[in-house]
Amino acid sequence: MADKAEKQLDATVAAAAFQKQWFADLRRRVFDERQPYALVQADVPFELFDLLDVPAVSNQWWAAIVAAKRQAPAYLDAMSADGHHGSLCRYCSLGYASTKYRDVQEPPWGGLPTPRLLCARLTCDCIHRVFSLWAEAFGSELFEIDHPGASDLPPRWWELGRHRWRELVEPHRLAFVVSTLERLVERLEAIRGRRLDREALHQRLDMVNQQEEVFDAVRRLIENAPVTPVRMTEQISNVMATQWVRGSEWALAHARAFHDEVKHRVETGIAACPGEQARLMWVGAGLWHDTDFYTAFETSHRAVFVWSMYLAFGPDAYIRYGFDDPLTALASRTASFNEYLHNPPWAAEWIVQQALDHRIDGALVLRPRSMKPAGTGRLFIERALEEAGIPVLPIEGDVVDARAWDATAARAAVKSFLETRVAR
Amino acid sequence: MTINAIAKLTAAFDATFTSPGNAAENDRPPAVISWPSVPVEIVRAAGLQPIFVRGGAMQTPSADAHLEPEIFPGRLRALVDAALTGNLSGAACVIVPRTSDPDYKAFLYLREFVRRSIVGTLPPILLFDLLQSDGPDVGAYDTARTRALLDDLASIGGRQPSLDDVHQEIARTNAARAAARRLAALRRDRPRARGAEVFPLLGAFWQLEPNAYVALASEAADDFARRAPLDGLRLLLAGTPMDSPALHVEIESHGAIVVAEAGPWGSGAAGDDVACDGDPLMALAEKYRRDAIGPRTPVSALRAWFLRILDNVDAVVVSLPPEDTAFGWDYPGLRDLLQARRIPHVCLAGDPYRPLTPADHDRLHTLVNVAAAPTGKVRHGG
Repeated sequence: MADKAEKQLDATVAAAAFQKQWFADLRRRVFDERQPYALVQADVPFELFDLLDVPAVSNQWWAAIVAAKRQAPAYLDAMSADGHHGSLCRYCSLGYASTKYRDVQEPPWGGLPTPRLLCARLTCDCIHRVFSLWAEAFGSELFEIDHPGASDLPPRWWELGRHRWRELVEPHRLAFVVSTLERLVERLEAIRGRRLDREALHQRLDMVNQQEEVFDAVRRLIENAPVTPVRMTEQISNVMATQWVRGSEWALAHARAFHDEVKHRVETGIAACPGEQARLMWVGAGLWHDTDFYTAFETSHRAVFVWSMYLAFGPDAYIRYGFDDPLTALASRTASFNEYLHNPPWAAEWIVQQALDHRIDGALVLRPRSMKPAGTGRLFIERALEEAGIPVLPIEGDVVDARAWDATAARAAVKSFLETRVAR
Repeated sequence: MTINAIAKLTAAFDATFTSPGNAAENDRPPAVISWPSVPVEIVRAAGLQPIFVRGGAMQTPSADAHLEPEIFPGRLRALVDAALTGNLSGAACVIVPRTSDPDYKAFLYLREFVRRSIVGTLPPILLFDLLQSDGPDVGAYDTARTRALLDDLASIGGRQPSLDDVHQEIARTNAARAAARRLAALRRDRPRARGAEVFPLLGAFWQLEPNAYVALASEAADDFARRAPLDGLRLLLAGTPMDSPALHVEIESHGAIVVAEAGPWGSGAAGDDVACDGDPLMALAEKYRRDAIGPRTPVSALRAWFLRILDNVDAVVVSLPPEDTAFGWDYPGLRDLLQARRIPHVCLAGDPYRPLTPADHDRLHTLVNVAAAPTGKVRHGG
């Protein structure tokens, strides 16, 4: 396999350094100063934790770190040896495995300290169970945000989200999520012994809007540039480093620095893949154990990954204008994450629109081995892309579990796809 | 006469939405339901007949073209296949409860089939968004969703029931629950019937008109009470809830007797009565939130059920089919509990509707022999 691709953007290097330092600071806070932190699912409202000074670590981010360090197989083997069958979700449980079976190896960056609180939205059926086990392993408290189902999903959600966001979530669902978030605020207030400043929350959401507007501008730069100025993997690194602390001063400053660097590359004609011949999109969560996969076709086929959900999702799903009550605006975003990304009709029509906007030549769609709920809606997406004239290659794999991943075969399949279906 | 009661109950259990058979309640339009976590009391109060989807070994080629593999259980594949082949045309509506993520996705898929003209028309597809977590906001939410479902069903059935009507249905169904509990009691301690025989009689609770169920179940219970107790290993079927006695038949071929199973079709069919003295919709919402066993049932509730039931079993079979995403997380804890109680067990990972593999039969044979061995010699399967 190819060596780790060298980072093309200074912003990417800065984002990685920030994350490592942020985690080191977190450990120091927890161990030396006995300050609380929270371990949370990626789709919970981080803003509430941050404003109440309970830093939040994303389960998915931590799983990606463990997988990228090639440490997932040992933890997952231990989990299997303990009796968890092989069809259970590995993405959401790798963090739990790194805690429960911590003796099998030294975890990345010293490992997760004991959180004061775990918090998860009950989207997939496994979440309640995985987080219950994890909370038990830590001896920590678990706060659950239940996920009411949607009966009304108006078309072209991304056109409603910014100004007409109340139309995206049925009133009873919105009210339920608001009341649950109010309880979460009460819990965090009790932990910190102080009240949430609602005006500060309002300002934070305004800052989040600004940050996502910057990402929107980056997206438009990528869409409209003659050739892709920034690799998908570097888009993800910059976006996710900011999303976990979204709306903070650093996040907004970093988003702007990322934008400026991309803009400079566009203006000076710098391509992520010189001689670009094919523009690809990746549909699904990232292959965190093999991110080199995404640059593996640049030299051989001049094929570059242009799009993943990570950059585009921020502007389309997070921006909320015209709110009086910030908690309601926050709840409207929180209520429907899964519907945006995985469920018909929303996921397929958004992804097709993104493919058209980005002049995509071919789409690789993840068929996740163990993340079953994330695997639903996939056939609708694949068919919608094909109907829009965009060839699709399904890729079977797990985003964190490398044990059954045949990197050579996967690359060969992509090369064949590029030569037979994507060739311009 | 008694054999007739058992046959009638079994036929009512076997009735499907494509062949409602004797389960038909007069000429009421059928409401097709994907899992027994929808209050049958309000379905009947609205003038509809509840018919539940169950899985099986049948082929579902139309569904297979649209459903991702190893995600949707057999019952949902059957439902989607029926939708795509025109076999839901006789239904007044389809109700999909929020029992699992695949149920919710099946609801969205069915709506999408219509939107994208993959299928011409379907009856109204309703989501019953019953949440089952423990938060203080959940009760009020579930009550409101129950009220909304009643309104939708009343509109479909053309009959607006009063709360008194709902009270009456609760009372009638409570009587059926009592009859089912009496049947279930005859499986415990010294069982009078095999699990494969009793399971359909308990499951018929969901599909049979309550008064008829009371009469037939009471007659069947009288028959069982007259039978001599059966010898054999008393076995609990745990893991993913069953909606078919197929696995019972396979297990009992080894001489064991399935005396209980997790889930709403067998041991859990009746549960406790629904309270009749307050807001009936609140009482129904609370009953089904608490008692409806599925992948979103809180771990603590299932654990409590296991602890109660383990006093009356000699061994456990844990079924974790390929589409399981939830119950497998409970397994190590259950295993440790069984080991502490010196109760042997095995895990089966195959499709419960299909014959067991020779290896699975060998493991069951060993389990039965080990559990029947003198105490102190038990081993634990994996």
